[in-house]
Amino acid sequence: MPIKPGEYFLQGNEACTEASIVAGLKFFAGYPITPSTEIAEGLSSRLPQTNGEFIQMEDEIACVSAIIGASWGGAKSMTATSGPGFSLMQEAVGYAAMTETPIVIVNVMRGGPSTGQPTRASQGDVMATKYGSHGDYQVIAFAPASVQEMFDLTVKAFNYSEKYRVPTFVLSDAEIGHMRGLLTVPKDIKIVNRKEKGVRRADEAYDVPDDLVPAFPTFGKGHKATVTGITHTPKARVEPEDPKVHQELVGRLNDKISANRRDINKWEVIGPDSKTMIVSYGSASFGGREVAARDDRVGLLRLKSLWPLPVEPIREVAEKCEQLLVCEMNLGQLFWEIKRVALEAGCKRVELLAKIGGAPPTPGEVRHKLREMGVI
Amino acid sequence: MELFDFYDQDRWPHVFCPGCGNGTVMNCFFRAFNEMGWKLDNTVFVSGIGCSSRIPLYINSDAIHTTHGRAIAVATGLKLSRPELDVVVFTGDGDLGAIGGNHFINGCRRNVDLDVICINNNIYGMTGGQASVTTPHDYISTTTPFGSKEYPFDLAELAVAAGANYVARWTTRHVHELTKSIKRSLEKKGFNFVEVVSQCPTNFGRRNKMADPSALLDWFKESSVRRDKVRAAAIDHVDLNLAGQITTGEFVCRDRECYHEKKGGGAHRDGH
Amino acid sequence: MRPGIDLRYCKGCNICVYMCPKQCFSNGADLSVQGYFPAIVTAPEKCFNYGRTEKLICELCVLSCPDQAITWEPEPEEEEEKDADQTG
Repeated sequence: MPIKPGEYFLQGNEACTEASIVAGLKFFAGYPITPSTEIAEGLSSRLPQTNGEFIQMEDEIACVSAIIGASWGGAKSMTATSGPGFSLMQEAVGYAAMTETPIVIVNVMRGGPSTGQPTRASQGDVMATKYGSHGDYQVIAFAPASVQEMFDLTVKAFNYSEKYRVPTFVLSDAEIGHMRGLLTVPKDIKIVNRKEKGVRRADEAYDVPDDLVPAFPTFGKGHKATVTGITHTPKARVEPEDPKVHQELVGRLNDKISANRRDINKWEVIGPDSKTMIVSYGSASFGGREVAARDDRVGLLRLKSLWPLPVEPIREVAEKCEQLLVCEMNLGQLFWEIKRVALEAGCKRVELLAKIGGAPPTPGEVRHKLREMGVI
Repeated sequence: MELFDFYDQDRWPHVFCPGCGNGTVMNCFFRAFNEMGWKLDNTVFVSGIGCSSRIPLYINSDAIHTTHGRAIAVATGLKLSRPELDVVVFTGDGDLGAIGGNHFINGCRRNVDLDVICINNNIYGMTGGQASVTTPHDYISTTTPFGSKEYPFDLAELAVAAGANYVARWTTRHVHELTKSIKRSLEKKGFNFVEVVSQCPTNFGRRNKMADPSALLDWFKESSVRRDKVRAAAIDHVDLNLAGQITTGEFVCRDRECYHEKKGGGAHRDGH
Repeated sequence: MRPGIDLRYCKGCNICVYMCPKQCFSNGADLSVQGYFPAIVTAPEKCFNYGRTEKLICELCVLSCPDQAITWEPEPEEEEEKDADQTG
């Protein structure tokens, strides 16, 4: 049974576990890695109770490959990892993007590069999420900032992954994953299932509809679906040499996400009319939220989704405010993207508060930075 | 069944070079498949990257052509999510023994119900003939121009040690034996592995004075040794393989419980 | 039944020539549309299955043809007569 509606006191990773069951998870492949292991541990007992299948694979490449296989079998599937495991998974992320396989990958970010800080939080994988695999592709990524959001955004990740047939990420971090807090499970949770191919007619099997997301030909239903990572025509014929076929395929894979950006992006604004806006996400936004709540001169734009880049909300706040301060737990990754959008929108000044090492920026540090900038 | 009930005629003739053994393995596989009465609609073919991994793209069925080496991992996920489907993996020596070696040994150990057909042509064919993990010692490839310094992997022996339920090795010269072994592997539950030593006249034979496919087939015939005979004579068959001979035959046929036959339970519950 | 070679698919590897225990096939010399020299069935009457219609045996050529170009064909009646004439 999925978790009942009501109030719970749970860890972030446990909230993610429960959310995935609510969203309809049927297959999870995992490999132990701090700080995401609780998700695999939780699902190893929860999935057999909910008619799902849990497997511990031999490495992270196998995990993500296995969930791709399960997804083609028609099961909603997920894996969870962190740092080095995420690096290993990149190969299959590109494959999932190319073959339009709906999968969910939870990345409980930790300090890198390499083994880095296994037990401390970081936001160092933001760019790797979008640009980690080779080639041009788009993914969807959500960044929860509380136990509640770990639940809500995991459900959303499944929904969008199914809707757009795309690998979708939950970019949590060690701070959120191990934080315990209040979780309210609502009564009505919207669940989206993939649009399955119903008709058995070869000529319409791979038609591309207006929303650019073809229906999903689940294996074992007589569709005779060919799935390949080689450049293929809409009818799944291998065509690696034809420039036009490649352009159309990869173009559509990117367009289906960027054209639906407004549907996907989620954010929250505190004090939208402030002169100074802090832009942040995940646990890096804790300090900024405290400051924005107590100071009228400072507002906060907290991004709940990072990819595709939420251009509209950034542009909106950048048009109104005088300066932006980007808070990140890396040495400036999304900062450059935000700066580009903000400068284009007419904002004069975009500064960065970068903090690595594992502890999110405190309200004191944010205030100190704002004082340095001369805005408070 | 007619030939093109199995294959997609629009894609014919296939991409393989003249004399390539992949087509032979396809014939033997579908002969066995037909004799077993399996249905294409209930079978999914999984492959990685390489010449042999192109086979599923020609089959008139659901097929997934994955990334290099990951076929067994993908097949594991697929089989566990849909146990009612029959999952067949076509793979090559580089795909299975080199980049996918970890998935291979763990697949054997895990014993998920999969049928793995490995077409071992002793070379990386698709990239133009580089040495693979099964290139015999002293043989020439584009990356071993003075002869391979390394000794080859014995994939079948590896599968036996790792715990596969059924293991057999034949060459493309032994078509009837191969068909029979594939049929046995389809019959059996659990992880079943059939290795087929196959000819690559273009990239392996040409550089090793066996440019004609028949020369390679002749080589297979001359250097094949039946495993039961080797056993009877108490000769180490792995040593034979290292010396460039090919032990053929059924390596193992056992009935270990396969992964998804065991649901829940566990040792800790017996105490209650 | 007798073996027949489909010229659209044969790539001229001559594996059938090597495999056939009865030497039914021989190397071809005529270029096909695909640009290969397909093997030819020169002595179909030597085949084990010549005159059989079911329970075919041997089948080494059909099983080992890598291009799925060899299939079983019924023996044409005229050819049988012609062969009979020649031997007679």
